Amino acid sequence: MRPLSVIPIYSYLLFHLLAPNTQPRLKLTTKKRLLAILVFIAGYITARFSLITQAVELAYFAWDNGVVGRATKGFLILSLFFFLFFIPIERIASRETSLVSTQSRRASSSVGAGAFTNHCAATMASGNENGLMRIFWPLDFPRRSEPGVLVGWRNSEHDVFVVDVLNGVDSRRIGRDLTSTNLYRKSPHSATRLFELCGQSALHVLGNVNEPAASAQKFGPSHIYAYTQKSSRYPRIHCPPSSGIAIQVILFERPHPHRMQYLSLRPISLALEDRAEDMEGEADETGERLRREELVQKLRLHSVKRPQPTEKERSLQMIVDQVNCSHEMRVLLKENISLLIGRRNRRALSVSERVVEGATGLWKGFLDALMRAVWVMWPLVTNCFVVLIVVWRLVAETILKVLEWRLRPELAALKDISATAQQFDIRLQQFCYWPIQYVTLRRRKKDWESVTSSHPDYIRFYNSLWLVANDVIIGIALGSYIIENAHIVAHQIDSHLHAYTVEGMKGMISWLMNLPGGLKLNQELGSFLGDLFLWVIDYWADTMTSIRPHLPRVIYAIGFSSFAGASMPIALFSDLLSILTLHIYSFYIASARIYNWQLSIIISLFHLFRGKKRNVLRNRIDSCDYDLDQLLIGTILFTLLIFLLPTVLVFYLTFASARMAIIMLKATLETLLACLNHFPLFALMLRVKDSKRLPGGIRFELKNTRAIVAAFDNSDTAPSISYIHLKSTPLPFRAMFHQYFQLGQRIRGHYVSPHVILCLMTGQSVPPIHRRNLYSMQYSMLPTKRAGPWELWGRLVEGK
Amino acid sequence: MRITILNSPQSITKMFTKPPKLRIRTPSSTTVEFTLSNAPPPTLPHTLLTHFTSLLRLILAATTLLLLLTKFQPPPYSSSIHPLIHPILATFSRFSTSLQWRHLLPASAVLLYVLLFIGGYTEESLVVIRDLGVQITTKTGWSTRSRFIPTERVSDMWICEGFRGFEVRFYLAVVVEGEEGLVVVFPTLLPGRRVLELVWRGARRCLHEPKHIGDGVER
Repeated sequence: MRPLSVIPIYSYLLFHLLAPNTQPRLKLTTKKRLLAILVFIAGYITARFSLITQAVELAYFAWDNGVVGRATKGFLILSLFFFLFFIPIERIASRETSLVSTQSRRASSSVGAGAFTNHCAATMASGNENGLMRIFWPLDFPRRSEPGVLVGWRNSEHDVFVVDVLNGVDSRRIGRDLTSTNLYRKSPHSATRLFELCGQSALHVLGNVNEPAASAQKFGPSHIYAYTQKSSRYPRIHCPPSSGIAIQVILFERPHPHRMQYLSLRPISLALEDRAEDMEGEADETGERLRREELVQKLRLHSVKRPQPTEKERSLQMIVDQVNCSHEMRVLLKENISLLIGRRNRRALSVSERVVEGATGLWKGFLDALMRAVWVMWPLVTNCFVVLIVVWRLVAETILKVLEWRLRPELAALKDISATAQQFDIRLQQFCYWPIQYVTLRRRKKDWESVTSSHPDYIRFYNSLWLVANDVIIGIALGSYIIENAHIVAHQIDSHLHAYTVEGMKGMISWLMNLPGGLKLNQELGSFLGDLFLWVIDYWADTMTSIRPHLPRVIYAIGFSSFAGASMPIALFSDLLSILTLHIYSFYIASARIYNWQLSIIISLFHLFRGKKRNVLRNRIDSCDYDLDQLLIGTILFTLLIFLLPTVLVFYLTFASARMAIIMLKATLETLLACLNHFPLFALMLRVKDSKRLPGGIRFELKNTRAIVAAFDNSDTAPSISYIHLKSTPLPFRAMFHQYFQLGQRIRGHYVSPHVILCLMTGQSVPPIHRRNLYSMQYSMLPTKRAGPWELWGRLVEGK
Repeated sequence: MRITILNSPQSITKMFTKPPKLRIRTPSSTTVEFTLSNAPPPTLPHTLLTHFTSLLRLILAATTLLLLLTKFQPPPYSSSIHPLIHPILATFSRFSTSLQWRHLLPASAVLLYVLLFIGGYTEESLVVIRDLGVQITTKTGWSTRSRFIPTERVSDMWICEGFRGFEVRFYLAVVVEGEEGLVVVFPTLLPGRRVLELVWRGARRCLHEPKHIGDGVER
């Protein structure tokens, strides 16, 4: 390939390696856009001046001069030094500090021991059997031992969710503020919406962190005491074993909503929902499904009555939502609390600060004026664009109508026959769907980023955009090659087609006409059939010679079409192949028909030979009294046909295998098309780059309680606490390619079934696989019913 | 009801490994983790041996890849390569040129598959957390598969018998509401009935909150 055509691909790939990074929102910030452009330029320069080659040469040069050896030696010496001195010193220092802190805490705890034992006696006496307390604790708090107030959701009495730790505020005052609405005055979107998402009406004060006299307090679920420390990531919850309550501390990392990370109980669905259901239905699968339903019914009968789910068990979905919202909730709280505290100590600006502000203000004013000029023009541009899109939509609608038009309802439409028409259909439908997807995604900006319902849409939208862009890039490279070498390509295609479908066929037929492989066939019938086919082939070859001079022009046209994407020349080539091998298809049909007739005659004559006949009305075989001459003639004909069968069979086998080869070739092309139209490229990239954006469920990891508690050193109590780490499971690769597996299974189920093999053996026409099953994958990213032009217009106008 | 468990590829290698051992971790009475593993106990020699074998596997796999690479593109016989590496490369190249593609390619494919994917230890675990749910994890070689089922959707847990190849095995299964089929716990190791009963009792005790004092579920 020419280097010039490589450059765009290469720089484009580099550009897109960063693209998911740079597009967390639809509208790029200027900084990120600048970064994307820089990467593009860097990619171009790298390709243009072959920087990679020069870097490799530099590496060789460095290797020759022993740079690597010296660097390795230096690294080894430094790391040895690090391991021998720095790590032991750090360990010793941290141990010393923890010793000091625990000693001070012990001293304070011994003071309140009396009150503590009193409380224990009280709880034991009342027989409090409350079992379990659940605390959800985010892992990103700063590791400090400063006192603070725990603020969060109280889902039920024994189920709390910590959102933030507020340092330097009074817990009583904050408790009063949290219930009033004026705490959330400064918020980008409606705060009640965020509360709604979390399923709670207000935040609460849950307890204290690092309260000095905490161990003196009695334990109660309404106000918990926790410690954090520099040496440990995990909190220590104050809970004496005598309180009779077991504690689960569920730790989680907050998903970052701006990076579109989120947790989900169900795996994210890459296909559209209504499509996913549509894929399931097939006639022979329904029987299996009924059988399974019956089994599931039996399974349900088998279970003894289970207890009703408790409130805590039912709240899992709400908790996942709270985890998803917790980042934005925390930011909102932080901003407003700092306003609340900062209100008091506001002072006037000094002179130097005013000068600086004035200088920056000048530049800002200039930028503002520029922006205002752009804003005046903006509505005009967008309106023009909307009109353009709707006009284009109308054009697409007419073309789609033509592609879908059927002469009669039972006949095939144009898109069912030709791969090119189908490719057109897919692309046009995608073009029709994009504006709607875009409008849906734009609506996301008006809401909190924690709303995760549109994230799959985002992935689908960018996946299809990226696939089309990729397709065009590959198409340009392919097209420029084909256009430049149109004559060579045409000659190659022509010579191969001639060699295989004309000369090869001719050779094969003439081989069959005289004793193929020493097999003694019927010479007369063989030469008759062979001559028949040879005449047709000769006629076809004549037609081909008249077409031949036009072939380079056709190839040229295919090359031009590839600027619309590499899938277009592939589809066109697939159609061209079916046209240029039309004669083989007709040979197959003819020979299959002859073979099938002969076989059915032989079967009925065999019944006659046995003195029986087939009763069509009852669909069975009855005895029958034949006359002597009937029997004689029938038997003679039976013998004759039996002897002639191998000759016909040989011809049938030849054409059937030729037809199979062509079908295989077309299937390969179809697979290529499917890969170009429906590869989960964006999803794969996200999986590699940030797997939290593709959640496939959640999982829990049990932490070692003893090790965590040992960091706080309260060895006198054996706490009944379990630390559980909540993590997000990334979507497995198998789930991404689920549809490919399903398609493969379906094709295998159809073509390797006994029925199809029997059809092939007896020369009956093989029933084709239903198109809806074969191409459902390519359409799985598109809705079943596309929105009309007027609906689109309405949405676009409303979207503004 | 007859329920067949599919034969897993691990069953062939299972003959050569030790019977799996059960480990139970209960940080509190509301959380329990049952881990079933056929790895030896994590003593120092065993750990060293494991690391050594995995290193050896990696080296062998890299060697196979290098062999393929030198066959595909023989290294240049010039002094631009470091004098320490050059003789090694030359040996590789000599060896690979003496082999033919049709022998080398399948052999190296099989070797790579065996080195990277076969063997290793299997560890399967069941975590039961009260009020949250049940989690089933299978760890084999490189891959970790886990499935979490919320308590709300667990309708039952039971021990059952199933056909597996030419044997009948006991297995512990979770019945999930609104889903066809069962979710088998410890699907590759399939421990014996004694272990399963132990796990079943522990899991049942932990999963649901005791409603009344002394209804048999209490410890």
